[in-house]
Amino acid sequence: MTDALIVIKDAGKRYMRGKQSVQIFDHLDMTIPRQDFVAIMGPSGSGKTTLLNLLGGIDRPSGGVIEFDGKRMDDLNESKLAAFRAGNVGFIFQFYNLMPMLTATQNVELPLLLTKLGPKARRERVNTALEIVGLSDRARHKPSELSGGQQQRVAIARAIVSDPKLLLCDEPTGDLDRETAGEILSMLQTLNRDFGKTIVMVTHDPEAARYAKRVLHLDKGHFSEKDLRQ
Amino acid sequence: MTFLDLVRKNLFRKKLRTILTVVAIVIAFAIFGVLATFQNALNAGVDTAGADRLMVTNKINFTLQMPVAYVQRTRSVEGVKLVSHADWFGGYFRDPRIFFAAIAVDPPTYLDIYPEYQLPPKHRQAFLSNRTALVAGKAVADQFGWKVGDRIPLKSNIFQQMDGSDSWDFTLAGIIKGESARIDTNFVLFHYDYFKGTRSFGGDTIGWMIIQTRSAKDNARVMKEVDSLFANSPFETETQTEQAFAKAFIEQAGDLGFIITAVVGSAFATILLIAGNTMMLTVRERTNEIAVMKTLGFASERIFALVIGESLLLAVIGGALGVFIAWLSSFALQNATGGTFGPMTFTPGIAIWSVVLMGLLGLLTGWLPAVRAMRINVVAALGGK
Amino acid sequence: MGRTLNQIAAVTMMNLRSIPGRLWISLSTVVAVALVTSVLLAFLAMANGFQSTVQGTGAADVAVMLRKGSGSELNSTISREQALLLEDAPGIARGADGKALVSPELYVVVDGIKKSSRTKANLPLRGLSARADQVRRGVKVSAGRMFRSGTNELVVGRAVSRQFEGFELGRTIKLASQKWTVVGEFEAGGSVFESEIWADVALLQGLYQRGSTVQTVRARLRDPTSLAELKKFSESDPRLKLDVQAENAYYAEQGKGMSDIILYLGWPLAIAMSLGALAGALNTMYASVDARMREIATLRAIGFGGAPAFVGTMAESLLLSVIGGVVGAIATFLLFDGISAATLGSNFTQVVFSLKLTPALVLQGVILSLVIGFAGGVFPAWRAARAPLLAAFKER
Repeated sequence: MTDALIVIKDAGKRYMRGKQSVQIFDHLDMTIPRQDFVAIMGPSGSGKTTLLNLLGGIDRPSGGVIEFDGKRMDDLNESKLAAFRAGNVGFIFQFYNLMPMLTATQNVELPLLLTKLGPKARRERVNTALEIVGLSDRARHKPSELSGGQQQRVAIARAIVSDPKLLLCDEPTGDLDRETAGEILSMLQTLNRDFGKTIVMVTHDPEAARYAKRVLHLDKGHFSEKDLRQ
Repeated sequence: MTFLDLVRKNLFRKKLRTILTVVAIVIAFAIFGVLATFQNALNAGVDTAGADRLMVTNKINFTLQMPVAYVQRTRSVEGVKLVSHADWFGGYFRDPRIFFAAIAVDPPTYLDIYPEYQLPPKHRQAFLSNRTALVAGKAVADQFGWKVGDRIPLKSNIFQQMDGSDSWDFTLAGIIKGESARIDTNFVLFHYDYFKGTRSFGGDTIGWMIIQTRSAKDNARVMKEVDSLFANSPFETETQTEQAFAKAFIEQAGDLGFIITAVVGSAFATILLIAGNTMMLTVRERTNEIAVMKTLGFASERIFALVIGESLLLAVIGGALGVFIAWLSSFALQNATGGTFGPMTFTPGIAIWSVVLMGLLGLLTGWLPAVRAMRINVVAALGGK
Repeated sequence: MGRTLNQIAAVTMMNLRSIPGRLWISLSTVVAVALVTSVLLAFLAMANGFQSTVQGTGAADVAVMLRKGSGSELNSTISREQALLLEDAPGIARGADGKALVSPELYVVVDGIKKSSRTKANLPLRGLSARADQVRRGVKVSAGRMFRSGTNELVVGRAVSRQFEGFELGRTIKLASQKWTVVGEFEAGGSVFESEIWADVALLQGLYQRGSTVQTVRARLRDPTSLAELKKFSESDPRLKLDVQAENAYYAEQGKGMSDIILYLGWPLAIAMSLGALAGALNTMYASVDARMREIATLRAIGFGGAPAFVGTMAESLLLSVIGGVVGAIATFLLFDGISAATLGSNFTQVVFSLKLTPALVLQGVILSLVIGFAGGVFPAWRAARAPLLAAFKER
């Protein structure tokens, strides 16, 4: 078992805008070690979100290789990628993206519907996840009855409920006030330190980036490394 | 939470919209159920016709008579098991607008040839032994609230008694129940002898004969022989199977079946459009959510199943309610028409067809939206920031 | 006031212009309303056509006499003595020869084969006498000639030769086990008589072994008011147990049953389908308002009143429904108007009639579509008018 969770070699991503072909990045290399907590910053259009999509198997590279846990990802078909995501990746979005008609419990339970677990086992896992994020007392509330911070915590619970190795966060605190943002980011740190989750976080906020172990800057498809800590 | 819960919760997100769509579906299925009941009633005669029974009528037209002597001659034809005869009385009870069939028959042979008419042995005996006795089908008895033993005066709009009066008196000897719900019981039967002896004209004539053959295989041959027996006489006959006779009768009513099908078809086309559009709309509105589901690991096939599940659930809820309403209405229909068009019953066949239609509706309205949902590009849906 | 009108006009135009963006769902409302209108109008045209055929039948100054209580011609029977008595009755017009204009007639049913379905159907065969054409009016021999008394010639109504096989001019046809020659075709103003076959009454009496009895006696009245005289005469004579009616009243009564059925089926069906279309219309309009909620709220934040939003939404709903109604009316007109249908009239015989769509009926259909449009628009319009301003700032 290698030390790296994700290895990207010579990856490129191009997409068509109308009749024009836009190259997001080309010949990108990247290694993410296990239990890393890396923040990716960069100006708008630099490709941060695209990179996140590639890491999560939502999108496929136009060229190059992506390996996850030693296995190639870039050549999987859509349904294998779905299965991959279900077991290995948890997403956290800027606007939470909870299902408005489901309660917190039911939202968190969603990923478990894809497993073979029975109702009791599912309930246990959901309760555990909600405890971790500290929202057990709000379990039966719908998103409309929760504050922004609480909604994001439910989203985090949903992201960790099937115990994935990787958490991908796209501007997780972009819609929160400073204090709540701090709480969320602390929670991510806990998940990384105490639960061993590898976290990749895209953000434009330098304050948020400080919570990560390292920061990468992406500009016009290229990295430059700046080590804030260590 | 199960998949069904997820489907259900998705469906009832916008309660008003879902309720409106369900209403449209309920109405379409109610229309289908009611018209199918009506159609069934019209066809009851054809569907319940005895396979080994033939009707012999005057060749010129079934409204004309033939001599009662024909009955005995017909009995001698090879392949004939039973012959009975009947005459149309054209009767009514108090109100001439309430229609039922009043038929003068030869009781023992008539009851034998129609085994689907169920009459308790005691009543049968009473009917046979009393010349002025009358038996009524259940539909008529219920219509007028008759009970066994009642004196029933019937008037005819064709005949009069020899003594000038226009009403015949009968005693109700029994009530006939149909073997199944589809047997038409909108008739009364009485003795031909009583009728023949008292009517002012018509003499020894009857309206039609009923033949029961030894087996349905003998039908064609018997039909030919009976008609050739009476060919070139002043009263030529035409013999046909009971089913053919019933069919010809319905056909007289014109293209009612076609009209009914056209109406039901357009009602369904309407709701197909409405429900289909509702589904399309909901899918479009939920593009974002569907994309999120995909990030969670829901494969395209599951997304497809979720959407089809919604449209099926919609169809089943609306369909079940609509069918229920149609079932209730069949009773009201029966009361309103009183058996003039036949027995208005909501048969299991109609229920089965309804279920098939519900399935088709769910699939057709859900197909395109489900395909669309399946194909939602996650990047495009979520990447728009 | 002018400013409000400007606002209303502006918002309405914006609404209507945005419909192409909601094309499919708007189209579904149009089609739904079109179908409902079409079904209603088809039934109305059927009832109207049937009714006008039957009502066009019979004159107000011809009396029809049947045996009391028989209800229809087929069931009636009138003896020669009774017919002779009637010749002296008051109220009856007299011909140039001074004899009463009285037509004793026989009415029997024969089988004919329908051209369209090649199945058998009942046809009325009426036995008339030579004086019949003086008693009956509005009958014109349009091809060939009238039959001669005492011969087995017959004339057929226009509808019969059109809808049934074998009745072409000059053809010999076997009816009632007798050979007849078709010598003429007649028109009778589109009335029920055009569905009949006429022949000599004496011949038919012999053929059907009726002796000297007939079934009805028709008499030309001096004027419509002499009906009362004739009635009194019949009632006061115990030998004449007859029902005396004006011919047009008789046929109106006969036709009522079937046209009632058509109407009792048609309106409830149309109303039921309308409720379904209404559900669809409401869905469409609510979706429309939802889609434009941001716009509407923004306009309100800018300062537009609630009225423009209300009117704009109503206008959209009414427009879609009216288009549906008109499309449905056109469809019914193209598909159904004028087509011939035949169904059971009284006497178990076929009545041939054509579906008739009139402007008055079309108006009923359009009104129905407007009602759907109104009901489908008023609640969503209310929602649009009271859109919360915050909706302008809400993130999608």
